[in-house]
Amino acid sequence: MKFKRILGLLCAASIFLVATGSAWSQEKTVKIGAVFPLSGNAATAGAHTKAAIEVAMDIINNAHPEFGNFPLAKNAGLAGLGGAKVEVVFGDNQGSPATGQNQTLRLITEDKVVAITGAYQSGVTLTASAVAEKYGIPFVNGESVAANLTERGFKWFFRVTPIASDIARIYYEFLTDMKASGVKTDSIAIIHDTTEYGVSVANVVTSAFKEKGQPIALDIPYAINATDVQGQVLQLKEKKPDVAIMIAYTPDAILYQKTMQALDYKPPMIIADDSGYSDPSFIKAVGKISQGVFNRSSWSVGPAGSPTALIAEMYKKKTGDDMDDTTGRAMQAFFVLCDAIDRAGSTDPAKIQAALRATDLKPDQLMMGYKGVKFDEKGQNILASGLIIQLQDGESYVAVWPKAGAAKTPILPYKGW
Amino acid sequence: MRRHWLWLPVLLAFVVIYPLVLSTPFQQRLGALVLLYAIAASAWNIVGGYAGQVSVGHVVFFGCGAYAAMGAYAHFALSPLVGIPAGILASLAVSAVVGVPTLRLSGHYFSMATIAVAELVRLIVTNTAYLGAAVGLSGPTVPRNVFDISFISALPYYYLFLTVLLITLGITWWMANSRMGFYLRAIRDSERAARSLGAPASRIKLYAYMLSAALTSVAGALYAMMFGFVDPESGLGILISVKILIMAALGGAGLLFGPLVGAAILVPLEEISNNLLGGKGAGLTFVVYGAIIVLIARFQPGGILTLINRIWMERSGKRPNGEAVRGAAHAP
Amino acid sequence: MSLTLLQVIAGGLLLGAVYALFSSGLTLVWGMMNIVNFAHGDFVMLGMYVAFVVYTLFGAGPWLGAPLAVLVLATLGVVVYFGLIRGIMKGPMLAQILGTFGLALLLRYSVFWWFGANFLSLPENLVGGTFDFLGLRIQASRLLAGTVALLVTLGLHFLLTRTSLGSKMLAVAEDSTAAQLMGIRPDTMQAIAWAIAAGATGLAGALIATFFYIVPTVGETLAIVAFVTVSLGGFGSVPGALVAGLLIGVIESLSAYLIGAVYKDMVVYTLFLGFLWFRPQGLMGKT
Repeated sequence: MKFKRILGLLCAASIFLVATGSAWSQEKTVKIGAVFPLSGNAATAGAHTKAAIEVAMDIINNAHPEFGNFPLAKNAGLAGLGGAKVEVVFGDNQGSPATGQNQTLRLITEDKVVAITGAYQSGVTLTASAVAEKYGIPFVNGESVAANLTERGFKWFFRVTPIASDIARIYYEFLTDMKASGVKTDSIAIIHDTTEYGVSVANVVTSAFKEKGQPIALDIPYAINATDVQGQVLQLKEKKPDVAIMIAYTPDAILYQKTMQALDYKPPMIIADDSGYSDPSFIKAVGKISQGVFNRSSWSVGPAGSPTALIAEMYKKKTGDDMDDTTGRAMQAFFVLCDAIDRAGSTDPAKIQAALRATDLKPDQLMMGYKGVKFDEKGQNILASGLIIQLQDGESYVAVWPKAGAAKTPILPYKGW
Repeated sequence: MRRHWLWLPVLLAFVVIYPLVLSTPFQQRLGALVLLYAIAASAWNIVGGYAGQVSVGHVVFFGCGAYAAMGAYAHFALSPLVGIPAGILASLAVSAVVGVPTLRLSGHYFSMATIAVAELVRLIVTNTAYLGAAVGLSGPTVPRNVFDISFISALPYYYLFLTVLLITLGITWWMANSRMGFYLRAIRDSERAARSLGAPASRIKLYAYMLSAALTSVAGALYAMMFGFVDPESGLGILISVKILIMAALGGAGLLFGPLVGAAILVPLEEISNNLLGGKGAGLTFVVYGAIIVLIARFQPGGILTLINRIWMERSGKRPNGEAVRGAAHAP
Repeated sequence: MSLTLLQVIAGGLLLGAVYALFSSGLTLVWGMMNIVNFAHGDFVMLGMYVAFVVYTLFGAGPWLGAPLAVLVLATLGVVVYFGLIRGIMKGPMLAQILGTFGLALLLRYSVFWWFGANFLSLPENLVGGTFDFLGLRIQASRLLAGTVALLVTLGLHFLLTRTSLGSKMLAVAEDSTAAQLMGIRPDTMQAIAWAIAAGATGLAGALIATFFYIVPTVGETLAIVAFVTVSLGGFGSVPGALVAGLLIGVIESLSAYLIGAVYKDMVVYTLFLGFLWFRPQGLMGKT
């Protein structure tokens, strides 16, 4: 009968999982767990991240002398562990905090991974890292920006990416610079969804700007996965802000751009807060009608032959897409983690934790444009930073700010289509 | 029929020693999850199976319990256990307010109304800062004492949930055999006829709805305690009540152990297919999951337990309506 | 009335017409066969993907994409009817929810497995871009979808009330035993009804694809709108779905503009619940 059969399957599967778990840990591989949304609404981000991490594994596990002094690339495998290879076990968190927790638990207790990276959405990272904290397994996050993640007093959680307060600072400094060169930036509108991500970034940006004496003129929240955004765009069209800061995931970002074109509305300046606007799907779908959109990023392809350019090439060959900032940040976190394991010279979680604490990577050792990687006592990378990029031709983003390191000058006003 | 009752203590013994035998953390946690969903599905069963009112928005009560538990900790620094009585009170209030106008709607309209209520509450909570808005509420990450119900091992959760499940099933059994259960069966078969015979249909349905709501909120509170976190999606998302409903239906709605059977099949199925297939990222987990549900719906729409029952009945030589099968003595 | 407000209302009507378009198929099967189809949103999604494939392979717009979507979905409808629906139709509502929910997952993730998770899109000007009309901005693609919605509503209504096929279908819906005694084959009628409904849904998807994004999970977003539209309009009433859709579209647009986007869904649900209190059978449903 079906019930008995399922029960039997359950037992067999569990035994299988346990057996394989213990068998694997005896070989010379270092197992790392990666929990990402491989299904559900954020699956496109998860799929890209998975591909990027697989590229990273290739770089680490095989000898890549063309990368020069980029950490872990020169030799095959991790030198600090006698050339042991890195193996990543992926878990699908389905975009749900509960599933994220279950998968993290599975990776830790069944697959016996020595560290975890993930999990994209801040809500999922919250619960997944809580499990890792309970089990004493290092959890390195590269792309979740909610402030509370590093406010829990956790000892095993490390975050490499810039967070909302860094982002607010970047926007403020960029706009101040633009104002100095004659651009009108007096009234600012923030359009954001009501997810954890949208609300926390919007709140932090609002309070940061208010503190500096330039309060936000218009705040437009909306519910994620909208079927129509006409009302919001018409509100913008009426109020005519000088700057529109868009905080949206991919589906809504696409809808906003299409609606703006339909209603013939071009804000003088659009600054997009990564995520949706960085997604290659976004660029393919509405890039041509979003020319001139600014975005924040820590990724920039760099000159030909540089490690970043090589990574971009390998990634493009694998996925057919250009590397985007979010994916790059996740990949960077993976590199940071592997570098720490390498320095620890051991798969003992406590040693890896110590090595992470001692991380001090310089800008030329990173693929992202951070000022470095150094964690404070909360586990936050205090040298995380970003630049402003612009979609000037509707096809790819170029770095435009700060001036040092900019590939092109910013083009204003916003061109659109 | 004697053999039928033997299964009960065997099942009980199995369930009690399961986490001690299959004792990896993942297996224990899986068991705890099965019990948790079994509680929620059994609670739903009271109104959805026994009373025949298919509430698709039942998650709103689940959310009452989950938010009450996390809110007790986050706002008042109390033990999340306070969320159980608080959640029960909240869900009784909500179910009374919602039940009175909606229970008089016929079948599909009732279901749609419950969906609208659940979504409305979810949207309101998403925009209410006190309830954590989109960020949600978190419970204790480092437990202060045992009453914070924050354990590393899944074992205490398992036995806590088992106790609550037994209580839930006990309440359901008592209700089904009481006068209320008698009325509910009459109402489910034909409400008009039941009313004409003097059954206080509206009141009985409301009681069933409220009882179901209270027990569902307990499940929600327990969920929040185990995961240490609740947000509008995980505590008030429609998908949760759909899942609970599916479990009850798959196992056998209106039967005492139906929801447990359904949970015991679907929860491991989802977890294990995610483990085996999810990492590949091709969505195969859900293709398999969906296909199995379709097959079961197609070939056993009454639920797995009805299949089991029928086979038991045939084995013991009786037709489902009690009469003996001719030549049963020679049946294999 | 300011121009902007007119724009809001115009946009709301167009949006509502689209809602009506993809809900008409759902109300047909719901009313006629009492089937709750949880996979409805995914039928729309499939229609969208057919349009995308047609564009990718032939470079053609909805002139080819829509008829093909109708064909593909109608065929799928027949397959699903004989494979699943016929078995669960007579069963309790729960079995229907169970079966169609499983079907939804199956369809959604099969598409996901084949096409991947990327958001796809048809070019902006496939149906002619946006034009000005008395100072209002009207998207040609949405106008097309809206016009087709009207035509589909009229067509289905005509089919059901004026043709012999329609009366046979209604007879089976009313009392299939009696219909059988009159020589009508219930199975055939129901399969046809299901095929028509699926085809209409595929048509909706193909047209929506001209202005909305395409992704395997889009069905989730659209399904709940369809459910509310259909219940507000009254299960089984195609004209009811049209009126309800238009109403919901306008209310949504006005709320989003006047009160705020986060409240628009709340307003719709509240009004919907309030409406059910006074008129439990929906706008045009049977009492």
